[in-house]
Amino acid sequence: MTATPATDRSRFQGRSGTQRTAKGWFVDTGWRHVVALVVCVFALFPVLWVISAAFSTGGLESQKLIPESVSLNNYRTLVKRPFWRWMLNSLIVGGVTAILTVFLCACAAYAFSRLRFTGRRGGMLFLLLVQMFPNLLASVALFLLMQRVKGMFPSIGLGTYWGLILVYLGGALGVNTWLMKGFFDTIPRELDESAVVDGATHAQIFFKIILPLAAPVLAVIGLLSFVASQSEFMIADIIIQNNEKQRTAAVGLSRFVLAGFDNNWGAFAVGALIAAIPVLVLWLFLQRFVVSGLTAGAVKG
Amino acid sequence: MAIFGLSVMVSHHDWAFAVFTVVSLVVIDATYLGGRRWIPAKYLIPGTIFLAIFVLYPVAYTVYNSLTNYGTGNNLSKSQAIELIQRNSIGASSNAVKYKLQVLAKGSPTGELAFLLTDAQGNVLLGTKQGTTPVAAGQIVKQGIRSTIEGYTALNLGQATSRQTEIQAFKVPSPAGEISNDSLTSAFAKTQGITYDAASNTMTDTATKTVYHEQDGSFVSDSGQRLLPGWRAFIGTRNYGRLQLTGTFLRVFLWTLVFAIGSVLLTFALGLFLAIVFSSERMKGKRWYRLAMVIPYALPSFMTALVWRGMFNQTFGVLNRYLGTSIPWLNQPNWARASILLVNLWLGFPYMFLVCTGALQGIPSDLKEAAVVDGATGFTAFRRITFPLLLIAVAPLLIASFAFNFNNFNIVYLLTEGRPAVQGSDAGSTDILISYMYKIAFGGGRGADYGLASALGVIIFLIVAAISAFSFRYTKMFEEVR
Repeated sequence: MTATPATDRSRFQGRSGTQRTAKGWFVDTGWRHVVALVVCVFALFPVLWVISAAFSTGGLESQKLIPESVSLNNYRTLVKRPFWRWMLNSLIVGGVTAILTVFLCACAAYAFSRLRFTGRRGGMLFLLLVQMFPNLLASVALFLLMQRVKGMFPSIGLGTYWGLILVYLGGALGVNTWLMKGFFDTIPRELDESAVVDGATHAQIFFKIILPLAAPVLAVIGLLSFVASQSEFMIADIIIQNNEKQRTAAVGLSRFVLAGFDNNWGAFAVGALIAAIPVLVLWLFLQRFVVSGLTAGAVKG
Repeated sequence: MAIFGLSVMVSHHDWAFAVFTVVSLVVIDATYLGGRRWIPAKYLIPGTIFLAIFVLYPVAYTVYNSLTNYGTGNNLSKSQAIELIQRNSIGASSNAVKYKLQVLAKGSPTGELAFLLTDAQGNVLLGTKQGTTPVAAGQIVKQGIRSTIEGYTALNLGQATSRQTEIQAFKVPSPAGEISNDSLTSAFAKTQGITYDAASNTMTDTATKTVYHEQDGSFVSDSGQRLLPGWRAFIGTRNYGRLQLTGTFLRVFLWTLVFAIGSVLLTFALGLFLAIVFSSERMKGKRWYRLAMVIPYALPSFMTALVWRGMFNQTFGVLNRYLGTSIPWLNQPNWARASILLVNLWLGFPYMFLVCTGALQGIPSDLKEAAVVDGATGFTAFRRITFPLLLIAVAPLLIASFAFNFNNFNIVYLLTEGRPAVQGSDAGSTDILISYMYKIAFGGGRGADYGLASALGVIIFLIVAAISAFSFRYTKMFEEVR
């Protein structure tokens, strides 16, 4: 069976493969490189431009792609603001949100996947329905809610990143629970059953069997939630308000450069590059999971 | 912890919070101490609590707010507003009673302030924070050239000057208004200009006899004059009427649609084209091209939007400098719209490229080959076989991408902040619905209008829900086809 398509393919390729001239190469493959190069320039130019902005001494108006003089002045301007504080806040917000999101989702997914109870189907559909209301739309209500919380518990209310974490966690259940439940369903039930025979409780099954086996999907969902929190701007801006020291990197840097584009451009470029590193690294690592996961999910429907 | 929390809530009179906490505590305890019946709940409760507080409650609260006039100028309760209006109306009328003033302090010169007031007829009053009490002539004690009474010290000019700001803020309430100082040696009585009548629920201006009636959360006179501040009041569906569904709202809504659909189509077209270009098996270096192209998608979007904003700058931006043009990228409505689409294309095409590559690989190649054997040209085979199959695979992702871009606040706000402005409207020409909502609630010249913003939020939700419901049916249809 497998041999037939292989020979078919070689026959198709053979037709053009006989013409090994330069023109033939261009018609077949060369133009693809031209397209690729054009697209790469489109894709990379802004990136190169920020890198150059980060190191050059001039402002927005005199910057060249290859800087004429290189210095660390921009960095020095940047750290006059609590930049590293912002970075730390971002990592805390992203890290705590990711870990708790994974935990909350795993718990819910375990109940939906393994336990049978009334309202199970209804609960799943309810989650899907709730997910359709993005919390951006309720931002006014969230703002007022956190303002009220601030009156009672200032350390987790409006103007703190802990308040932001709470708001992010509200959106933790939802699509993620569905994804995780789908994965849990693929873990054979025989494993649970044999554990039950051996006298395991439901908590032992959850922590010692399901969670370790689901580690890859837990990691991916955690990392995705981390990455999403790093570039979220609107809710973070609304919840943290003008409390500069509590800002995440996304809000801090954006507000910094919006306050004075010409003066703060270079310093912003430095900060943005540093802030992008964790996200970039995670993305390059996650890329294959996302592509296979998304399309696999899509084909499954 | 729970007890501490409860005590704080109760001390702030936040009964709704307190009741919610008690109920959830009872539920949690019942669940975790309860028997086998409760096992599923043990796993569901942690997430559900966050869901209830930070999703369900805000959703309900948004709907509620959309029916009120909550916002700047209307953020108090009615009784607070009444008190504030009356207090603010206290002022000096032309025939105000004037007093000679001696500032006193209780005990030592740094003690609590009090005013010793003497009117034109020679009647003496002691004014404290609590009010005024008449002083008989015999109670007055001489302290050098100054007069005081038992238990108080008269402040000399130096002592009074050092406490000047305190003295200026010091007000003695009186039945008709209040008494405050004019200088360090004189004071006058201010009278309350507006009084509230609880029986008829009206405000009356005592000087002009104008009557203000309650209307939509503030007191309004017959001639339409409004007393500030107002209070939070239920105004029914009036916010929805105020959205100008046929004017500003329609314009913003149409651009939101164009933006969301345009972004999806452009990114999908470029992504698919590149996926096909890169599907050649003999092409070398694909790995590196792919890496380069994924980078825009891998960077945080707040950063890229701002970087493009710098590059688009009309006078200093790199694009105009390198192209030798002076295109008003972000300053002219249509250029600004095109710029936003361009940036979103840049941000989104890598994702579509990755998705299309994956989907193309998932399409069995024998189908296409069979078509070619049957005599179809490469393009026909693509159009009739590959493309429909591809569409089935990616349709849900296209719809998801549409829904995402419909509320893509980051790019609009960080790239243009909705500008350029449109005259006579609070929404700029590149504002999408979500950024318009943000402006109404948090940004802007005319103060926060939470009620109106909430109404807009509800409408956006209805639109998104309708689109999602439609797309669910549509994708089901696709599934049935398969």
